[in-house]
Amino acid sequence: MGNYIITLVLGVFFGFALNKAGLTKYHKIVNVFRFTDMAVLKFMMTALVVAMSGLYALRGLGLITFPNIPATYIVGNLVGGLIFGVGMALSGYCPGTCAAGAGEGKLDYIVPGLLGFLTGAVIYGLTYDQVFPKISAITNYGNTTIPDLWNLSSFLTVVAFALMAFFLFYMIDRAGWQRKEMIKEE
Amino acid sequence: MKFVLNYIRREEWSPYVAGTLLGIVGIAAVWASNSLLGASGAFENVAGMIGKAIAPAAFDNMYFNFIMPPGITTGVILVIGLFFGGMVGAATSGTLQWGKKGSANSDDQWKRIFGPQTWKRWLLAFVGAIILEYAAGIAGGCTSGLAISGGMLLAPSAFIFIAGMFASGILTALIVYRNRY
Repeated sequence: MGNYIITLVLGVFFGFALNKAGLTKYHKIVNVFRFTDMAVLKFMMTALVVAMSGLYALRGLGLITFPNIPATYIVGNLVGGLIFGVGMALSGYCPGTCAAGAGEGKLDYIVPGLLGFLTGAVIYGLTYDQVFPKISAITNYGNTTIPDLWNLSSFLTVVAFALMAFFLFYMIDRAGWQRKEMIKEE
Repeated sequence: MKFVLNYIRREEWSPYVAGTLLGIVGIAAVWASNSLLGASGAFENVAGMIGKAIAPAAFDNMYFNFIMPPGITTGVILVIGLFFGGMVGAATSGTLQWGKKGSANSDDQWKRIFGPQTWKRWLLAFVGAIILEYAAGIAGGCTSGLAISGGMLLAPSAFIFIAGMFASGILTALIVYRNRY
């Protein structure tokens, strides 16, 4: 029961952050693919840098252990990502932002969104045996991390990732990697 | 203090501030319950629950029995939290859409590109949502369960997924927007 309350609170803050970042809006999601509004990328990269620094520091101090790390099977991760991007650009949401947008009371998130995810879940569950075991068996590296796989210092990997993110932020905000929006002026 | 309250009331935050909040939530999930954030799995749990109630024979397979067993899992609770989080966020900026007239086709940019018809938005959103959920199944998670949760642990899978997602997202946006890209 305690776990359920913690999870509920985490979910509320998660949904709150998605709302404030603007990710519960169709145009925010699609415009990152048009390079006219890079908020989605900045939001994700910031979350990654903060969480990764905190988690690796806490693990280094012996305060936490990592939960089950999402498995790497290159072909499946890539094919899944490729299909996922199509759905994102068409609908303007992903499963998490759709749930938060539904809470805001948007009918185009509540009805086609939630029903679509349930339909997709049914189709996936019924075809799982034919698809997943095969695709996840190819190029499977298991529940690994980049530092473990390539034998790198995890401290230096986190620092390198953070520097890469800061470089990206600089290029977007100061060096014109974001295009001007033309649609509004029509 | 006043500044903080005013900031909370803003409809849109800097993505760096909102991203920092999400990062802290990601750390808290591991610290407080040794779990990862994720959204797509919850829909599998609920789909299994509904399916087993309506057509138990069809849903009596390995996936719905063992891989993603039906029921109110912590994943489902997290998605319920997401729902209320979005609600609280919109309430603080006075942008709740419940019962509002434009809420069936909520985005101005969409209407400018595709026109005001609601059925069009709903059809493309429905198809898009099916694609998203199926893809998340194959990839091993969605934007939150794989890209954020895997990425913060430095799992290679997260970055492969993000690369694929951006490649096809850009291509799809190009096709859909054509000369208005």
